[in-house]
Amino acid sequence: MDLHDIRGGRLDVITEEAEELSRESTNMADGGLRAARGVSTFQRFSVDTDESLCFEPCEDGLPSPIGAERGLHGDVFEVAEAESDGVTIRKQLQGKVTEMENFASHLEEIFLTVEENFGRQEQHLEQHYNDVLQTLSQRCDDRAAGLEEEKKGKLEALYKQLLACGQAMDVSKELIETAQEVYRCPDERLFLKAVMPTMRRIEEFAEEQVDLTLATSLEFNTPLANLPDVKTMMDSINIVPVINPQTPNSATQTSLRVCWSLFSDDTVEYYELYYRPVLEDTPADSTCAPHVSKVRVKETHCMVTDLLPNAQYELWVTATNTTGISPASEKTLYVTVPSPPVIKQRECASCPEAALIRWESGNTDPVDSYTVELRETGTGAPESAIAESVVAVPTCQCLIQLQAGRRYLICVRAVNIGGPSSRSEVISVSTTGTLFSLLEDTAHPCLCISEDGFTIFYGEEELPISAMALEDNNAFTRCVAVLGGLIPVRGRHYWEVEVDDGTEFRIGVASEDTERNSYLGANNTSWCMRHILTPARHKYEFLHNGWSPDLRITVNPVRIGVALDYERGTLSFFNVALEQHLHTFQCHFQNHVQPCFGLDNPGALTVHTGIEAPKYAFA
Amino acid sequence: MALTQVSSNRCAGGFQKVFEHESTELKCKMKFAVYLPPKAETDKCPVMYWLSGLTCTEQNFITKAGSQVPAAEHGLIVVAPDTSPRGCNIEGEDENWDFGTGAGFYVNATQDPWKTNYRMYSYITEELPKLINANFPTDPDKMSISGHSMGGHGALICALKNPGKYKAVSAFAPICNPMQCPWGQKAFSGYLGPDRSAWEAYDATVLAAAYCGPQLDVLIDQGRDDQFLSASQLLPDNLIAVCSEKKVPVVFRLQPVSSNTRLLTDQHDSCMLGLRPQLLLHLLLHERSHQAPRQVPQRLISHHRRCQSPAERPPFPGNQIPQL
Repeated sequence: MDLHDIRGGRLDVITEEAEELSRESTNMADGGLRAARGVSTFQRFSVDTDESLCFEPCEDGLPSPIGAERGLHGDVFEVAEAESDGVTIRKQLQGKVTEMENFASHLEEIFLTVEENFGRQEQHLEQHYNDVLQTLSQRCDDRAAGLEEEKKGKLEALYKQLLACGQAMDVSKELIETAQEVYRCPDERLFLKAVMPTMRRIEEFAEEQVDLTLATSLEFNTPLANLPDVKTMMDSINIVPVINPQTPNSATQTSLRVCWSLFSDDTVEYYELYYRPVLEDTPADSTCAPHVSKVRVKETHCMVTDLLPNAQYELWVTATNTTGISPASEKTLYVTVPSPPVIKQRECASCPEAALIRWESGNTDPVDSYTVELRETGTGAPESAIAESVVAVPTCQCLIQLQAGRRYLICVRAVNIGGPSSRSEVISVSTTGTLFSLLEDTAHPCLCISEDGFTIFYGEEELPISAMALEDNNAFTRCVAVLGGLIPVRGRHYWEVEVDDGTEFRIGVASEDTERNSYLGANNTSWCMRHILTPARHKYEFLHNGWSPDLRITVNPVRIGVALDYERGTLSFFNVALEQHLHTFQCHFQNHVQPCFGLDNPGALTVHTGIEAPKYAFA
Repeated sequence: MALTQVSSNRCAGGFQKVFEHESTELKCKMKFAVYLPPKAETDKCPVMYWLSGLTCTEQNFITKAGSQVPAAEHGLIVVAPDTSPRGCNIEGEDENWDFGTGAGFYVNATQDPWKTNYRMYSYITEELPKLINANFPTDPDKMSISGHSMGGHGALICALKNPGKYKAVSAFAPICNPMQCPWGQKAFSGYLGPDRSAWEAYDATVLAAAYCGPQLDVLIDQGRDDQFLSASQLLPDNLIAVCSEKKVPVVFRLQPVSSNTRLLTDQHDSCMLGLRPQLLLHLLLHERSHQAPRQVPQRLISHHRRCQSPAERPPFPGNQIPQL
C-alpha cells in the first residue's frame, strides 16, 4: 500500500464528508476500511467517475468547497434530511479514522521488524562472504606457495643439468687439448704411445650420449581453481540459527522447551541441539567439564527432557544440509523450573484473622521467589471459590490475612526465571481459634514433648550432664518450660491447658526474648498462673515480676482457658469446666508474646489449640 | 403496692431514684434506692440487689460507691434497700450499732420483740423483687445479688438458700461464718434464739456445705488490712475451706492496700470509697451472668456466669485434634 493510496483514502473520507457519498471504488487498497460504510441514500455523484479520486491533497484537511467547484451548492446544504445521516456517517468516519490509525501503527511495527531482520540478514551475509573471501585468499596463498615450491624444484633440476653439462664440457675440452697435444707431439714414438689411449678415450666419450634434453619442463602445472568447493561454501548455511529466549512457563522441573529460528531461505535437513548443565564451580581443566548432550530434530523446536530441577543449562544449535553444518548459534541459558517447596506443618500457626505458613525451599540452589496460593474450602465456601495468590514472597515464610471461621487450602510454589514449580503438598488451615505448636528448641532439657507435639512431660530422671553442657542458647535452663510459636498477630488468642489435680504448673505468656535462665513469672517479661501443691492445700498464684495477688480458689481447675487480648492489654485465665473467671493480668504487651508452659515438679500437661474462644473469654 | 418517689437525680445518663413504700413483711415504711440506667428507657434490664452493711441505709451505697457509671454502661438496674426496718419503736432497737436498727442481718427473726418486723430475709428475697418487677422495666429472670460486710453475708445466704434464683453472687468483705464470730453470735441469738441449729439456716459457711443446686460462681473481695478481718469477725477462711471441700466454685481475692488504685483500705467501713474498681468488677460479674451483649470497656474484665440450667450445660470439650 503506497502513500498515494493512503492519501487517496484520506481524501476520499474528506470528500465524502463534504459530499455525503458512499463509494464502492476498489481504489482503496485496504478493503477493511470500507466494511463499516453503509450506502448512503444520497447519491449525488456517479461512482464510476475517477475524477472524484484525483483531488490534490488538502493542506488543512478541511473540506474544500468541492461542491462549489462542481457547482452543486444547493445539495450540500440540504440540512434537514441530512442531519441523522450526517451523524451516522460521522460515526463511520470516526471508525475509519481509528482503523487507519491502527493500521498505521501496525505498519510501523512491521517496518521496525523488517528493519531489524534486514539488519540481521545483512550482518549474516557480510559474515558469510567474509568467510568465503577468507577461504579463497587462503587458497590463493596456498597455491602461490605451491608454485613457489615447484619453481624451486625446477630450477634446481636445471642447475644440476647445467653442472653436468659443464663437467662434460670440461672433459671434452680436456680431451681435445690432449689430442691436440698428442698431435703436436714431435716425437713419433710418444705419439704412437699416446694416440691409441687418447683415441680410445675420445671414442668412449663420443659414445656417451649427452643428454641435452631439459631435465624439467618449462611449463608450470596450474590446476584450475577448485570452484565447486567454493560454490559449496557459498551455498552452505552460513546463516547462524538463533535460539529464542526462554518462553515463560514453558519449562517444567525436568524438561525445557527450546525454540529457535533461522533467518534464511536455505533448506535444512536437520538441526542439532547441544546442551549441558551450567555448574556453579566448574573446574579449570576440561576433563571434569559437564557432559554435552545432543539431540537431532527436524523442527525448529525441541523438548529436552531428563533434566535436573532449578538448574541452568547452556544450549546451542546448528543447522545441517547437504552443503554442510552451519556454525553454532550463540550459547543461550535456559533454566528449569524449581522443585516444589515442602511446607513445615509443625512450624505453621494460625489465628482467626491470619495464618503464618513456613516451608523449606525444596531446592539446593536458591530460587527467585515463592508464590503462596490459597483457596477457601469447606461447607460454607462457594463452589467456584477463587484461588488467591501472594506472589514475590522473598523468604520461606508468609503471613496471610484470612477471614475468621473458614477453612483454607494453602500451597506454595517456588519460582525462578523458568517459571513456577508445581504445587507443594497442600496444608489445610482452619481459622477457628488459634493454632500453634510448641517450639522444641526452647524446651528445657528435662522436658519431653509427646509425638503429637502437644503434651509435655517432666520426668523423674536426673538431668543428663551432656544436655547441661550443651550451649543451647534458646532453651530454658532453670525453669522446666517451653514456649509456643504463637502467630505474631496482635489480635485475640485463646487456648486451653489440661492438667492433673496434682500437677504443679506455670502457664501463661512470655515475651520471645524472656530470660531463659529465669523462672516464668519471676521477671517482667512473663505472666503466668502458677499452681503449688502444699501438704495442706492447693495454692494458686498469678505471677508477674515475682509478684502475685493473694487468691484462693476453691475448685481446682483441671482445664484452664487462657485468653490473650493484645488490644485490650489483658491476659485472662478461666476454669473451663465451670466457665469461671480466675484472674486477669492487665498489661500493654509492647512486644509479641508467646504462650509458655512450665512444670515445677514431675508431671505432665497438655495444650489444646484450635478452639473457638468461648463468649465469656473475651466478653 | 404504692410507691412514693422520694428523690430522683439524673446520673450517668440514667436516674438515681429513692422510693418509699409500706412493707408488708416489715410492717413499716421502707425506703430503697434504685438506679435506672439509660437502657431502661427502652429495654428490660437485669437487676442487681445490693445489700449494705451494718449501720447503713439506702443512701450509703448510692452516694459513696460510684456504681452508677458502670451500671449505666452495662445496662443494670441496681436496687439498694435499707438494712433493717425503721421506726418500729421496738425497745432496744437503737441501743447497738451492730444489732437492731441498721443491723437486720437479713434473717427472718423468730424471737420477740423482733419477729414481727425483722423479716429482712423475706423482704429481700420476696417482697422487694415483686415490687421492683412490677414497677420497673426489669427482666424478672435476671437477678443477681451482692453486698458488703453484713450485706455480703446477706447476699451469700440469699443465693445459697435459693438455688437458681440469682444468676450471680458476689460480696465485699462479707461475714462468712456468723455463727463463729461475735457479730453473728450476738445477732443470731437476739433474732433467732439460743438454739444454734436455727442459726445454721442463715450461715453462709454451713449453707455452702449443704448446698445442692445449680452451680454457683462466687466472687469475694476482701481487704487484707481490714480490721474486722483480723478481729475474726469475717472468717473467710472457713467459707473457703468448706467450698474447697464441697467444690463450690469461689474466687476469693485478698486485696492489698494500694494508694494509686484505691483498693480496699484499712477501714472496713470506708471501703466503699476504695472499692470502686472492685465494684465495677462485681457489677460486671453480675452483668456477665445475665449475658448482656455489651462491649466491656478495656480495663474491665469480669467472669462469666452461666444462665443455663445444668442440663443444658455443654459437654466438656474433649481433646481437640488441631486441624493445622
